[in-house]
Amino acid sequence: MPIITADNLVKEFRLPKRYGGPLGGLRTLFTPAYTVKRAVDGVSFTVDEGELVGYLGPNGAGKSTTIKMLTGILVPTSGMLEVAGLVPWERREENALRIGVVFGQRSQLWWDLPLIDSLRLVGKLYRVPAERYRRNLDRFTELLGLGAFLQTPVRQLSLGQRMRGDLAAAMLYEPPLLYLDEPTVGLDVLAKERMRSFIAEVNREHGTTIILTTHDLADVEKLCRRIIFIDQGKVLYDGPVQRLKEQFAPWRELVVQLVPDGGELPPDELFDLPGVEVARREGAKVWLRFDPKLIPAPRLIAQVTARCPVSDLAIVEPELAGVVRGIYAEREAALTP
Amino acid sequence: MATAGICWDLAKAALRAQMEYRANFLVGILAGVVWQVTGFFTIWVILSRFHSIGGWTLGEIAFLYGLRLTAHGLWVVPFARLIDMDYMVREGEFDRFLIRPLNPMLQIITSRLRIAALGDLVGGVVLLSAASAKAGVDWSPVALVYLILVLIGGALAEAALQIGCAALSFRFLDTGGLRFLIDDAFNKFGGYPLKIFSGGMQFFLTWIVPMAFVAYLPAAVLLGRTGELRVSPVVAYLAPLVGLIWFVAAWRIWSWQSRNYQSSGH
Ligand SMILES: Nc1ncnc2c1ncn2[C@@H]1O[C@H](COP(=O)(O)OP(=O)(O)OP(=O)(O)O)[C@@H](O)[C@H]1O
Ligand SMILES: [Mg+2]
Repeated sequence: MPIITADNLVKEFRLPKRYGGPLGGLRTLFTPAYTVKRAVDGVSFTVDEGELVGYLGPNGAGKSTTIKMLTGILVPTSGMLEVAGLVPWERREENALRIGVVFGQRSQLWWDLPLIDSLRLVGKLYRVPAERYRRNLDRFTELLGLGAFLQTPVRQLSLGQRMRGDLAAAMLYEPPLLYLDEPTVGLDVLAKERMRSFIAEVNREHGTTIILTTHDLADVEKLCRRIIFIDQGKVLYDGPVQRLKEQFAPWRELVVQLVPDGGELPPDELFDLPGVEVARREGAKVWLRFDPKLIPAPRLIAQVTARCPVSDLAIVEPELAGVVRGIYAEREAALTP
Repeated sequence: MATAGICWDLAKAALRAQMEYRANFLVGILAGVVWQVTGFFTIWVILSRFHSIGGWTLGEIAFLYGLRLTAHGLWVVPFARLIDMDYMVREGEFDRFLIRPLNPMLQIITSRLRIAALGDLVGGVVLLSAASAKAGVDWSPVALVYLILVLIGGALAEAALQIGCAALSFRFLDTGGLRFLIDDAFNKFGGYPLKIFSGGMQFFLTWIVPMAFVAYLPAAVLLGRTGELRVSPVVAYLAPLVGLIWFVAAWRIWSWQSRNYQSSGH
């Protein structure tokens, strides 16, 4: 049973043409001139209970806009959306009780109050019984290491501390759904690691359904089984991480450590085989990119070792980051005439 | 009633947050008092010249002014945050009100209290009691109840206009100028017996903009001056209800317009 069903979601932003001058505001009021920006353009997907989905795409792809529709902040221009049986923007308060939201770019906490006050208010707002509140507070304080700054006003927290506070606030009432829009942006390596293990634990222990946007593909590789990749408001790919690689980067790389034969290194031309190209070369080390459908790995290895002496061999899969970089580059090329 | 408890907690938190800036807090209250004293002083100067305006004596005018001021304070103290509507909508700060399980208007009300406007309230109440003695208001229990209802109704009427106007923010982003205009109009005209204006103007300030229901009509009732009104006394008696109707309508419009909220790009 899907917990989220999005069907042909479209969101257009209307940008009023603005007028300057003392009465500019009034003129804007009465002159209906708009430019329209289609940020989300027919997005459909379903998410099952307990899934942890990475929602990816380049800057301006429409990720945050989708999240805002899921949370009920934005009303779509057209299309249908159902979250746990509710249309978010029509039953906003009910929907709010069931979701946790973290925007990496903007804190939802009370800026001028100590973190603990924010958490207490969240407990009240979401009607968390006192006993459960205590238990969750203790648990998240420990898991996220909040103890040292619970009494510090939020505006004085560092980015990473604030983000942990935001995450605790979003999980305090144990919502079945969690939307995380760039929860690791600007965090150092350790903080990211801690954030990731927290997200993974919440997903595993509570069965929380999570949708995560991020530009750090290590987040995705560590956390998500499934990704939805969007670009210019359209879904480009929806499926397991592994299949994205197969679809957009069907190649493998054979890393070959050559042995100089009488002081001479063999030239690149030596590897001129069908379905093979030299992707990179660093002296005696060569990265051969090959298509396993055209030339299976054992055959390639046999051919290479027959042509020159080799001291080491390794087959590597493309990294997600590399794949995504490739997709972005392709798109750039398509966009520039 | 759980909602009332939550609102109470949020309001307390807002006060605590404001206390973080203690100096600002005190200066705010002081500025509020100074502002109201000068406001009333202006009217005082005019009054001491003419001794009466539109047949209303000094005491009666002071009573009318006190009514308006108290009602004004009653709406401004809780709705201070409305002033930031343009900013909240433009910068996407409004997001947070939409992802919490409480009516967004209740969150706005409880997210800041304008303590400086307590000056309006105190000034208004003091003026009201002093002036009612001078103007010889007959305080029967019914009149007292009517006074309380009318103050609330007046606050609701003024709040309604501001909320209706703030609703435009969702679509047009800047409405601060318009709201300032309304506030200014209430300040300028609200403290006078409206009969000194032309018939068209009176009609406008009664039926298009409910300013007459804030102070003029109720004051006429309490001072026994309903005979001079251009509307039936029944309308004047129902002033609190008119405020309530305006308020409910404005809140509805505001909620409905919030569907046009576009958030911000980041
Ligand atoms: N409130 C808004 N008003 C006008 N345009 C907007 C608004 N929000 C987003 N947009 C536009 O819609 C498009 C999608 O924006 P969105 O924020 O969804 O992108 P994103 O995928 O989250 O990007 P990023 O990775 O940079 O966060 C962008 O072109 C953006 O300029
Ligand atoms: Mg974004």
